[in-house]
Amino acid sequence: MGDPERLYVITGGPDGAARAPLDLVTMIVARDEPSPTVQPEQAAILRLCRAPLSVAELSAHLTLPFSVVTALLTELLTAELVESRAPVVRAALPDRSLLEAVMHGLQRL
Amino acid sequence: MVRLEAPPNDQASPAVRALLLPAALMAAATATVVVLAADTARLPLMLYGTAATALVGWCAVGLSRRRRTIGVLHEHYAHRLTVLERRLAAHDEETVRLGKVLMPAAIHRLRQGESPAEVMRAVVDGDERYRELPAAQRSLLRSVLQIVDDEEAMRDSAQRSFVNIARRVQAIVHQQASELREMEEHHGRNPDVFDDLLRIDHGTALIGRLADSIAVLGKARPGRQWSRPVPLFSVLRGAMSRILEYQRVDLHSIAKVAVIGTAVEPLIHACAELLDNATRYSPPQTRVHVTAVEVQTGIAIEIEDGGVSLSEEARARAERMLAQAQAGIDLNDLGETPRLGMAVVGRLCQMYNLQVSLRQSAYGGVRAVLIVPRDVVTTGPAPGVAHGIGAAAGPRGSSVDLPTKDVLRPQNRVPRPVTGPRRSVPLPPVASGTEGDIPVVTEWTENGLPQRRSRGRAPLGSHNLGLRTPGPGPDRTPGPGPAPRGSGQGVAPEPANRPGPGVWLEAFTKAVNGTPQEPPAEAGEGPAGPGERGASDDVRGKGELK
Repeated sequence: MGDPERLYVITGGPDGAARAPLDLVTMIVARDEPSPTVQPEQAAILRLCRAPLSVAELSAHLTLPFSVVTALLTELLTAELVESRAPVVRAALPDRSLLEAVMHGLQRL
Repeated sequence: MVRLEAPPNDQASPAVRALLLPAALMAAATATVVVLAADTARLPLMLYGTAATALVGWCAVGLSRRRRTIGVLHEHYAHRLTVLERRLAAHDEETVRLGKVLMPAAIHRLRQGESPAEVMRAVVDGDERYRELPAAQRSLLRSVLQIVDDEEAMRDSAQRSFVNIARRVQAIVHQQASELREMEEHHGRNPDVFDDLLRIDHGTALIGRLADSIAVLGKARPGRQWSRPVPLFSVLRGAMSRILEYQRVDLHSIAKVAVIGTAVEPLIHACAELLDNATRYSPPQTRVHVTAVEVQTGIAIEIEDGGVSLSEEARARAERMLAQAQAGIDLNDLGETPRLGMAVVGRLCQMYNLQVSLRQSAYGGVRAVLIVPRDVVTTGPAPGVAHGIGAAAGPRGSSVDLPTKDVLRPQNRVPRPVTGPRRSVPLPPVASGTEGDIPVVTEWTENGLPQRRSRGRAPLGSHNLGLRTPGPGPDRTPGPGPAPRGSGQGVAPEPANRPGPGVWLEAFTKAVNGTPQEPPAEAGEGPAGPGERGASDDVRGKGELK
């Protein structure tokens, strides 16, 4: 079980400066193929993100905590290897019909 | 003895002859005086002359006899002298042999675990050269062996006791590390807490390395065991995670090989010590470069720092320390040396057949080269894939066994004895309060996310179910075992048909908003009858996949 490396080696230290403002549902998409110099985890992110993927999904795929993924993504973002997109907000307030639909769906369960 | 008496006889004759000369002269003088003197004095002269001649002759005889006695005695003493000298030399030789041959052999045997009595039997009595060893030497040897044996036993017990303590520290550190890892997962979304946890984690790893060092110096294995091969990259990052200034270490072009389980921990530890040396003895703004290339004898791991170059003397000292450690460390010598690292590395090299050398670096600092023998290196399980944590998360759908590992994960997790949110303890589902409430991950969505179902659901729908298809339908029983993704029809084996990731989210929102789509007809059909429960279950899964 476990791996020899600890998480701080992957993120490059706990004092990882400012993290990019990423959310669990921020969509990430790769802009480039992984170059051989990037860390293996970042290469994995770049491979996974050929199509847009949320940060939460990345975290689940890599079995890495959210903070680690954001730290890795921050580096990738500064290197402009990935792009982040906030999820599309349809309206400031959720649609009433959407809420109803969800409610009905939940009741049906 | 007979031979020795002969020479004095031979020598006596000229001496006797020499001594007879004065007697003869005396006799001649007497005769002359007697002939020349007057008749009246002739008689007394003759008498005195004869007496004097006799006296001289007697003296001559006595002298010659004494001289012969002296000669004999001289011979005798010379003979005794040579005998004694010979004996002295023999004694010296014996002492030297005792010290240089017998004693080392005996102590060597003693070190290999024989008792003093056994050693005496084997070394002294078993060898005809030493069988007639004088009693004094015998007892000397015995007492020396006894003393050495006692010392060894004392040192052994001391060593065992601190290895024991080191083991306990290691156990605590491992426990701590795994709990920290869990906490890191739990607090992964809170960056502040997470960073603090990482800091604690780092400190714990440093403690662990110290404990490992103590264990190694006590001739024990370092730390934990690994059951499977670990990629070299992970091994090196493992080494990095155990030093203080890991941020200064750069890994370049690491050979894509794996290290077999038994050699992982020693290698991590040896690399950690070398990296620690490299970072500690170089200016804080310089980087430490690590490369690992395949060479004829195995893998050469090079650790280069940009510090002050080792002077020839310092290099010799370091190498001497390494060599000493390989020969076996005297723990008493370690007391004053602050550089435990080299001793530990030397010891590990000796135990695991690694080779290490220190050279001048092109960057001006020190270049440590560690050669890992070929027999502990394998080409590894998937050398092309990313290493380490998250290595299991390859490109989607590439590995079938990916979910297996992850499915087992939440179930195997031991609840940690700390306060805080516990994801691992499953909450009972709200709807069904019946038996077996543990939600089991039985399905995987197209994007690899686990889909949980409560166990109570399927029996609820299926007890009066006629429509259920027994075939390879997706309504598999939610067994506790890992259900590999892709085993049902919902997840088609061909990856071409799969929707892209993130698309399902869009589809879901569309469906919820009422945008018509082809299959969700059943999903929106209102409450399904009890008979269709199982079917609608599957449909839901499908709808989500769309």
